Amino acid sequence: MRLLRPVLPLLAALACASGAPPPAWELPPPPPREGPVVAVGRLHRATLENGLEVVVLEDPSLPRVVLGVVVPRGSADVPVAQAGLASYTTDLMERGAGERDALAFAEAVDALGATLQASADWDSMGVEVAGLSRDLDALAGLLADTVLRPRFDADEAERLRSQGLAALERAKDDPSTLAGWHLARVLFPEHPYGLPQEGTPETLATFSASAASALHQYFWVPSGAILYATGDVAHGDIERRARELFGAWGGEPAPSAAEPPAVPQARRVVIVDRPELGQATILVGHEGIRRADPQRIAVQLMNTVLGGGGFSSRIMGRVRENEGLAYYAWSAFAMRRAGGVFVVSTGTRVEQVGRSLAMLLEELEGARTSPPTAEEIAHARSLSIGRFGLGLETSEAVVWALVDLDVYGLPRDSLDTYRTRVREAAAPDVEEAARERLHPERGAIVVVGPAAALRPQLEAFGPVEVVQP
Amino acid sequence: MLLLLLAALLAAPAAASPELQDPTERARVTVLPNGLTVLSLEDHSTPVASFQVWVRAGSRDESRYTGIAHLFEHMMFKGTRHLEPEQFTRLVEGRGGRLNAFTSQDVTVYFEDVSAETLPLVIDLEAERMANLAVNDALLQTEREVVLEERSMRTDDDPEGRAWEALLALTFVAHPYRWPVIGWRSDVEAVDVAACRSFFDAYYAPNNLVVAVAGDFDSEETLARIERRFGAMRPAAGIPRNPTREPEQQGERRQTVYFPVRGALLAAAWHAPATGHPDGPALDALGEILSSGRSSRLYRRLVNDEQVALRAGASYWELHDAGLFHGSIAVRPDASAERAEALFFEEIERVRREPVSEAELAKARRKLEVRLVTELRTAHALASRMGSDWAAFGRIRPLAELLGRIQAVSAEDVQRVARTYLDPARRSVVRVVSPPEAAE
Repeated sequence: MRLLRPVLPLLAALACASGAPPPAWELPPPPPREGPVVAVGRLHRATLENGLEVVVLEDPSLPRVVLGVVVPRGSADVPVAQAGLASYTTDLMERGAGERDALAFAEAVDALGATLQASADWDSMGVEVAGLSRDLDALAGLLADTVLRPRFDADEAERLRSQGLAALERAKDDPSTLAGWHLARVLFPEHPYGLPQEGTPETLATFSASAASALHQYFWVPSGAILYATGDVAHGDIERRARELFGAWGGEPAPSAAEPPAVPQARRVVIVDRPELGQATILVGHEGIRRADPQRIAVQLMNTVLGGGGFSSRIMGRVRENEGLAYYAWSAFAMRRAGGVFVVSTGTRVEQVGRSLAMLLEELEGARTSPPTAEEIAHARSLSIGRFGLGLETSEAVVWALVDLDVYGLPRDSLDTYRTRVREAAAPDVEEAARERLHPERGAIVVVGPAAALRPQLEAFGPVEVVQP
Repeated sequence: MLLLLLAALLAAPAAASPELQDPTERARVTVLPNGLTVLSLEDHSTPVASFQVWVRAGSRDESRYTGIAHLFEHMMFKGTRHLEPEQFTRLVEGRGGRLNAFTSQDVTVYFEDVSAETLPLVIDLEAERMANLAVNDALLQTEREVVLEERSMRTDDDPEGRAWEALLALTFVAHPYRWPVIGWRSDVEAVDVAACRSFFDAYYAPNNLVVAVAGDFDSEETLARIERRFGAMRPAAGIPRNPTREPEQQGERRQTVYFPVRGALLAAAWHAPATGHPDGPALDALGEILSSGRSSRLYRRLVNDEQVALRAGASYWELHDAGLFHGSIAVRPDASAERAEALFFEEIERVRREPVSEAELAKARRKLEVRLVTELRTAHALASRMGSDWAAFGRIRPLAELLGRIQAVSAEDVQRVARTYLDPARRSVVRVVSPPEAAE
């Protein structure tokens, strides 16, 4: 039971409440306080003679430093027969470099309490090291070794290959990973986007230290590469170190091999049979847009209304809030250099899969036939602008966003103009994005769960294929 | 009404690292007459703010229905006397804010990370739902289904979720930490509106709440607004707590969970002290030495050298009433679970038998130090640190104190805590493996 307080303070509280101004939700929102994305005087750029771009964002607020090198070539630039080789190469780059073998290298990183990670994405590969600014010398040395002098030791290469095979097999225990693999396979046959970035058992069988070394030599070149630093650093000092450590780096520019994928022509319905699951994972997907697509702001606003705006989105409102069918329900456009993928996802109890899937498809169709209202678009604009600001709270986030612009060849003032572009995106553009970019009639449907119970529910959507994980 | 200001702040001991300032040294602590504690940290470095309400109620406070603390957390988004269901969320998302909530064994936390000008809105919204929540049967029915789907995703269909649920149920036989935060399915199916209301009345009282706010705001204005909006809430006479203590474990406990998996999962736990215990930093250091980075002992032995696991780690988990030192191993599909388990326990025995090297200890200290620094980056992280400390200790532990405790750990301490707590006769071990017919 709550304590009933004496009458006098209670009256005082009521009096106070009645005299209080109305709650903020009844008032118009205050004007946004938007400062520059990058604090004046903090961002510095330089270009070395070998083409390496240097980006430094000074932020002395904490005694930390983050340093990285990115090259604008990634998994999508590798032939299908070598799917996974970009990830395999970057994984191997951090397992021994310079004078240190894998164990000595790990000891050197761990002794600084630092993190060092090399990784591959569809359109880029990168190495990043983070630690205390007082260790800048050692951190920069580890970064340069990883980028310029990876050892590609044969025993490490074999160990990593074996681990990769085991990890691929084990990943089948995760329904969302399985669903993603099979959606990509169905949508993009014969294209790098159609295979996991980690590769397949068939491609991993061909990997070796020499294959990784060849990929490294071909793609890790200074032309187009970006060295970035942020934290408690001085730009002059970083530029000097860049020249010392990376000035002699050479190599011919490597063209991007990424081609736009073919557009899927007809709907396919695939069940990945996992008889033991009580909840089915549902994906609906088709081709999306390129990262540099001129319509991307309108597409993003449309998707925010549809399924990218959290609880404010139509899909979440319908599937979770109104019907209680799922814990999550979202849609997203993953944008890459040569193309992209659009995905809608939810997870629901097996007996409700047909009903939930019908709702997702209705919402996609509905976005075309009843396009976002003025109110929905205004909400999506405000949400996008606010998330943009929150997403750039740390200087790492700002520097990553700046590097991303360079990787995709987008204008360097894109962060500064983003909020204006979102405000100026017109309702007809958003409607057009819904009409032109959503294709529920030919989107692929992938469901992971017990095939016996799923098949009867899915036959209404098209011919059903059942595959094993 | 007047604010009751405690001594404006916490003493500021010399920082262990001369280049590091502890932002929470500038935190203000205010206690309203109704018992609500407000921790505020004004910091204008970026135009954002994090507003958090820490409720000192979690799954350990449940009595009739397990999972009610978490289900109730979901109901806090379903409308109030003045707000429609989900209007709260739409208002915050519509201003670009990020909001969510989580429930743990000890606390339930609601947070909004917003642009600076949106802070007054979220203060008013949080005060509204804390004071005027509306729970009705139709909304509860729908949200119950949502929570059951969450349970399927996180636990029933997830081998790691199953391992964790089984490990807690095995390690704790008496204390409420033995049941899952999300609740047993049958309990979630049975919770009714009256039970929700009584949980709310018992625990969502101002004298059981801590508000933590950090970021770009004016302290006077913000505190005045919090006081105006939250000041009318009435305190509870007392907060009910489950009295159960965990009896000492006598003997090893084992459980096998059958679930079709390609790679087995192993989990093990030992009882360890509750949060705030002087042995905590040595247990943290032990966790680092065993599992942090590719030079750590478990990675080297199980993943790298013997190649029986894809992942192997162990760490200290500190709760308000008790703690665990626990480990887990993701066994490779081509390796034997028995062999992986044997290697894991060999490494545990080694830290009990021999002192760790000075180099390993220095590495562990540095990792813990870097982690503390890294956690100072955002308004959200700062508010979380303040709220979490206050909910557990009734004070904000200065960074210098935390760093000092890390620096003071010796190799003897690490060996002593390993010997004291990691006794093979008092461990609990769970294996998630495919059922015998599927393994054929």
